[in-house]
Amino acid sequence: MPDPLVALLVGGGVLLCGILCIWPRGGILGLRRRLRRLSTRVLVEDALKHIADLEIKNQNASAQTVAGVLQISDGRTARLLADMEQRSLVSFHEGRLRLTSKGREYALHIIRTHRLYERYLADVTGLSHSEWHRRAEAIEHRLSPRETEALSLRLGHPTHDPHGDPIPTAAGEIGPQQGQPLTSLPVDQPARIVHLEDEPETSYAQLIAESLWPGMEVWVLERDPQRIRFLAGGEEHVLAPSLADSITVEPIAEEQARGPRCEPRLSSLKPGQKGIVCGLSLACRGNERRRLLDLGFVPSTPIQVEMVSPAGDPTAYLVRGTLIALRREQADLIHVRPAPETAEQTAAAAGTGDGTGPEASGAR
Amino acid sequence: MTDSPQSPSLASSASPALESLLDEARSLRWEVGTSFHEELIEAIYTDAARIADRAVRRPDRKPRFDIDRSIDRLLTSRLWGFPAMFLLFTLIFWITISGSNIPSGWLSYVLVDRLTPLLRSAADALSFPWWLRGFLVDGMYLATAWVVSVMLPPMAIFFPLFTLLEDFGYLPRVAFNLDRLFRKAGAHGKQALSMMMGYGCNAAGVVSTRIIDSPRERLIAIITNNFSLCNGRWPTQILIASLFIGSLVPAYIAGVVSALAVVGVVMLGVFLTFAVSWFLSRTVLRGEVSTFSLELPPYRPPRILQTIYTSLIDRTLIVLWRAVVFALPAGAVIWLISNIPIGGTSIAGHLVGILDPVGLLIGLNGVILLAYIVAIPANEIVIPTILMFTVLITGAQGVGAGAGVMFETDSETTLRSIFQSGGWTVLTAVNLMLFSLVHNPCSTTIYTIYKETGSWRWTAVATLLPVGMGVALTFFVTQVWRLAAGF
Repeated sequence: MPDPLVALLVGGGVLLCGILCIWPRGGILGLRRRLRRLSTRVLVEDALKHIADLEIKNQNASAQTVAGVLQISDGRTARLLADMEQRSLVSFHEGRLRLTSKGREYALHIIRTHRLYERYLADVTGLSHSEWHRRAEAIEHRLSPRETEALSLRLGHPTHDPHGDPIPTAAGEIGPQQGQPLTSLPVDQPARIVHLEDEPETSYAQLIAESLWPGMEVWVLERDPQRIRFLAGGEEHVLAPSLADSITVEPIAEEQARGPRCEPRLSSLKPGQKGIVCGLSLACRGNERRRLLDLGFVPSTPIQVEMVSPAGDPTAYLVRGTLIALRREQADLIHVRPAPETAEQTAAAAGTGDGTGPEASGAR
Repeated sequence: MTDSPQSPSLASSASPALESLLDEARSLRWEVGTSFHEELIEAIYTDAARIADRAVRRPDRKPRFDIDRSIDRLLTSRLWGFPAMFLLFTLIFWITISGSNIPSGWLSYVLVDRLTPLLRSAADALSFPWWLRGFLVDGMYLATAWVVSVMLPPMAIFFPLFTLLEDFGYLPRVAFNLDRLFRKAGAHGKQALSMMMGYGCNAAGVVSTRIIDSPRERLIAIITNNFSLCNGRWPTQILIASLFIGSLVPAYIAGVVSALAVVGVVMLGVFLTFAVSWFLSRTVLRGEVSTFSLELPPYRPPRILQTIYTSLIDRTLIVLWRAVVFALPAGAVIWLISNIPIGGTSIAGHLVGILDPVGLLIGLNGVILLAYIVAIPANEIVIPTILMFTVLITGAQGVGAGAGVMFETDSETTLRSIFQSGGWTVLTAVNLMLFSLVHNPCSTTIYTIYKETGSWRWTAVATLLPVGMGVALTFFVTQVWRLAAGF
């Protein structure tokens, strides 16, 4: 029999090694992923993507911006760009870094793969939005054009990624980015968010924390140089203009707008209260969205809060004669408006013989 | 367009008019926006709802609904919800355990005590050689008879009772009450139900995860179902706890202490279920699809006869059949390795010798490990196999029924002397209880997991993860114990 202390130490060591190997980030697997990121091919592709991105926005890329985005030294950047020029992917024209047509095609393939894969993650998997960008960064270097095409076909050839960026077509066309920054939207003009800038990561995380999504309606309430105050998703948001600049909106006609009234969340109703569904939030995607629609959470459906679990969550709702329990985070995704007291309901209340009248049944 | 549909290649050679039309479509494509799919789907649903509203007449069902709400108010109330649930399940477990003792005794009496000698003499009458008789009767038949007599009665009681509650509409309310707890572990409230089913039989528990419609939560429920102590493992826990743990304390509290030890193991199982669910949902299963919705159907008077019939056919008989299919070869293997000698010692003896160092390192011994390996088809035959092997290896006289013949005895002194001759200590007993909870599922369950997931990968995870955890757990318990005991 070995000494128990020695056995414990050896056993603990083996266990630790096992955990280190399989730990998702920082483990052996994570390390392999990071090493791959530093390979030359990945650097070339990331540089191409960066230059193309700036070209689409009518800005100029330079060796400095490339070094900044790739987080590598100036010397390495210079060697990298020289190598890329030799492979006629980029050209230096009057001191400006431009993509050649070959480089542009290559870059658009990478961008297309990235955005399609984000779309796939958003619509098909259950991964949270904080994972999309990171995973797409890894996969964009691995898919061949044929695999990207298969992915596009499977998703039904989507036009935009979940942040609202247009996805280049296989032929290399890319749609214009529509809309204007939120900071330039006039007060009281209804608009819809069409795009959230997902870089840098910290500001994107802030927008997500405010639960803003492409497709949401916004109404600017007040604007001054320090901050911008607006309604979105039934809540008031206050953002610094620098952050609000990364939100792109498109004005919509007054009659098209659902109106700020139609934004309270289902989770805000108290037991016994009634409401009418006016839509699912755009944060609700893929399987979950389809499931909720299947269950009858469709616009203009009356809904009533029936009971709350003794543990506080989930809550059961009466929809089309069926009791469906939803968790709070799902009820957050369903927007409702207060149910109007229709003549039919009043008659029904009177018909059951409790004789309470409209005021009493409204208060119930 | 009389000659349509056209092949796509036509587009390139088409007239300029068509070309410009395609160009326009291409440019308009960018303007439809991101949400047109959604709007289309919503419009279809809205249309369908309008048509249904116009065409379907709903009779006034108000009174019926009020009864449902009153029951719900009681069963999901803050005050009564949990006590009612606790009472109901205690009742079900009590009926199952106390109710199955008697038929189990009968079956065991008929199948093992009566039929086995009868079959032996029949084999002799047909002048079978001894090895054929041993292989068929003592090996294959006895193992199967054992599994059937231990397994059938609890399942035949537990499953119909459970199905009745399901039919009545209560089980979704349990999921409703407990969901918050499971959500924290990244699992689905309905996992509470597959866990309960797992206390009857893990294979049936795995099948019952079909009620979970979200793929990720379903996999979690399948992989962790093994941590629900199934009825094949209850007897092991109770026997070892009363023999070893109960004997540590004065006789008048021995019963309570050994019962508490078993409850402790069950609680450890519940804890591991949550811990492993939490771990899986944050690591390997992060990318899987996850949705939640729970329909709470109206209460219905249960259809008793139909329920008993379907639960007997669907659950009990299918599970039993699979168990029998796996028990037959296991019985054969157990008999063969005990009776085929290599160099004067049986194969079992050699295997025990090989496994002993590993077994002792994790506080068990070679006999127990070998029993767990050959008795993988059914946890019910682990203790009989351990007893038989111990007698075989130690060569104890006056007990047992011969090499390769599994046996069990009610006499505590006999049991204790067998275990003592095998070198068992309290540490061995504690580790056996832990390992019985945390080890691979039985082969019936493994096969069921493969059937349900359709993937060898998840089957391997569900099989190897608990064994790895069990070995690690018993190893650390043993070493810490030995360190604390100072030898």
